[in-house]
Amino acid sequence: MRVTNRIKRSLPLAGAALALVLAVGARGDAPDRWWSPGEGRVLPASLDYTNEHGALRTLVVGGPLKTRGHPFFEPLGANGRACVTCHQPADAMSLSARTAQERWEATGGKDPLFAAIDGSNCPILPQGEKASHSLLLERGLFRVQRPWPVRAFNGQPVTPDFTIEVVRDPNGCNSAPGYGPGAGNVSVYRRVRPVANMKYLLAVGFPFDPKQGYALPLDPDDGKPQSGNLMADNRAGNLRLQMEDASSVHLEFARALTPAQIKRIRDFELSIYTAQQSSPAAGGGLDTMGATGGPAKLRDSQPGALGSIGTPVWSEFAAWDRISAEDAAKLTPQQLAFRQSVARGARVFRDRTFLITDSAGINSRMGFGNPVRNSCVFCHNMTQMGNDVAPGQVDLGTTTQPFADPWDDLPLFRITCLNQPHPHYGKIILTYDPGFALTSGKCADVGKITLQSMRGLSARAPYFSNGLAKDLRGVVDYYERRYKIGYTEQEKQDLVNLMSVL
Amino acid sequence: MRSLITLAALALPLSAQAAETGDLVRFVSCPVYRDADSGKKSGCWLATDPATGRRWDVSQSPYKPNWDFAVLVEGRVSAASADPCGAPVLDPVRTSILPDPCTRHMLPAEGYKGRKFVLPPRNIQPLSVARPVPPGPYAERVFTTYFEFDRDFLVYQYDDFIIDNAATWIRAAKPKKLVVTGFAATEPETVSGRTLAERPEIARDRAEAIAETLRRLLPGLPVETKWEVGAKPTGDPDADTIPGQSQRRAEIRAVF
Repeated sequence: MRVTNRIKRSLPLAGAALALVLAVGARGDAPDRWWSPGEGRVLPASLDYTNEHGALRTLVVGGPLKTRGHPFFEPLGANGRACVTCHQPADAMSLSARTAQERWEATGGKDPLFAAIDGSNCPILPQGEKASHSLLLERGLFRVQRPWPVRAFNGQPVTPDFTIEVVRDPNGCNSAPGYGPGAGNVSVYRRVRPVANMKYLLAVGFPFDPKQGYALPLDPDDGKPQSGNLMADNRAGNLRLQMEDASSVHLEFARALTPAQIKRIRDFELSIYTAQQSSPAAGGGLDTMGATGGPAKLRDSQPGALGSIGTPVWSEFAAWDRISAEDAAKLTPQQLAFRQSVARGARVFRDRTFLITDSAGINSRMGFGNPVRNSCVFCHNMTQMGNDVAPGQVDLGTTTQPFADPWDDLPLFRITCLNQPHPHYGKIILTYDPGFALTSGKCADVGKITLQSMRGLSARAPYFSNGLAKDLRGVVDYYERRYKIGYTEQEKQDLVNLMSVL
Repeated sequence: MRSLITLAALALPLSAQAAETGDLVRFVSCPVYRDADSGKKSGCWLATDPATGRRWDVSQSPYKPNWDFAVLVEGRVSAASADPCGAPVLDPVRTSILPDPCTRHMLPAEGYKGRKFVLPPRNIQPLSVARPVPPGPYAERVFTTYFEFDRDFLVYQYDDFIIDNAATWIRAAKPKKLVVTGFAATEPETVSGRTLAERPEIARDRAEAIAETLRRLLPGLPVETKWEVGAKPTGDPDADTIPGQSQRRAEIRAVF
């Protein structure tokens, strides 16, 4: 009897292992896993790639997609990159640091990914040396050069209410000739944001941006309200603006994208969905035993719903709180415990409150007060996605002292507020990345970074805009340290397990 | 002598006298946060009137304190007998953040539960919910929005509700233009021993902030701005009987 049960319990594990073997592009299967610009492969309607927590699935509505000649997949500019270079299907349409490392090893650093313009710490450095690309290789960071003074927000001129000085410039891109505020630009370093599940990032739930105190800005193309959730610093409010910015900078495309190219890229970005699909730790599919994980639910759901007044955030896994005895018998004790942990993690995410302090975008300038008691879902509030229904510019302190860790390899800026002091940092602020303030021109916005989707996290470490958390536990640990939450060890593991299946 | 004492008593702020239900209380002090935990947004805000030493529960303000800064408290003594935060309640109440620094202080719950969060009555529906078309006939009408002391920031779950309703009515009424007038309470007043007056330029800032929001909500409709200083209190119900709140306003006039 004991032997029979053991065999029964081992069957799902064997099935999961088989599924992992069958998943396309397992680690080590590099040619298939990496999508090179212009290679002309067909993107299947459904495509799985493994990662350390299981397998990620990408769905293409209307797929398969012939990528030959498609502007998302073809190298458009001088450096040989395409959009897909930094938005890889295996990495949830983002790019993990591990993938960057694999490309370095596979190409000796010759891949267009490492283009001097932004794939190195600074173009002035010797490009053949690995150390010149350390930020990309170690933390998945690309250089983002913003104009200084702030010139435009959706086409409107902005006069900053702060000055910026360079305190430290370890890479040269804020002080070498042609670089830095004195030369009319500021370089910061950021992770790639996923280009998938886009209808959620473009969704507008309410007509106001409560963090800025205005109605939502209008899209210059169609006149509709903008979500404000596309880019880390909200510098582009719609996909056209985002892709024009990306093609001219990251692809070094000297010409303007044609309307036809913009339409094809936009159509593709609106058709692709990605999420973790299976987990060996859970004993198989994340859409089994009543759960509705995976990208199909994302594809089929309406975007923009606020979890607190509708379907609770991460209720996709609520059924795992009450797995039947019959289903439980199909799992090993470890798999059952993992599923229960995921369900608990969803509840911890929603219900475990703590004091949120000194976080602009939450504690100011809105009227919530400083401090305010709430949970993760206060900001990560959109059903199915965990991004913010309102424009998500919030300062968690990840880029700004005293909360940010000391990163000696990042530039450090001194911001001086010219009018009102910052509500939490005062007149003088030390930051690695002023974030949204480089778009709005407001001192009150220094350090604010737009929340992003929480889907496909397992495929795209490290985390936060400057890659400060090398893994999912690092994310939890940052919040614990920042807000002195007091999570138990069990709660931390439950949150990690939850995030691993998103 | 007795009449002098009576006059002196009348001159005292109400907060220095015995407070009765409905009395207006106005003072400046450092806020204290009580970490009552009845779930999300359930913490308490307390503030002590320096003139009387009496501590009030000011948690019901639509814009809440920052524990690093003093607050201007304006509220009316509530008839509620319950004290979920450990102090008598001001409701309605406003707590405007002032630039004066304060020492942070947090009290433990000490057995007080705070209040379980409920959506305030002024909250807007998602855009996915259709707004009923307000019935006509339509004629010139004024909608009034309100602000924190010396600020032009649109108050969440207060101004957005008022403006959303206004925009719905304006879309149906189709006026020729909108005129937004910003007001500022610039006449100096002494509160808790310090002189308070809004900056004159905040009147213009309020007008322009609301006008920008209206241009976004109602594209194509002309929006003009005006501003006035020396604002006087009004009896508008959305100021919730707080005279100071009624002064800190911007009016949206729909002109046909």
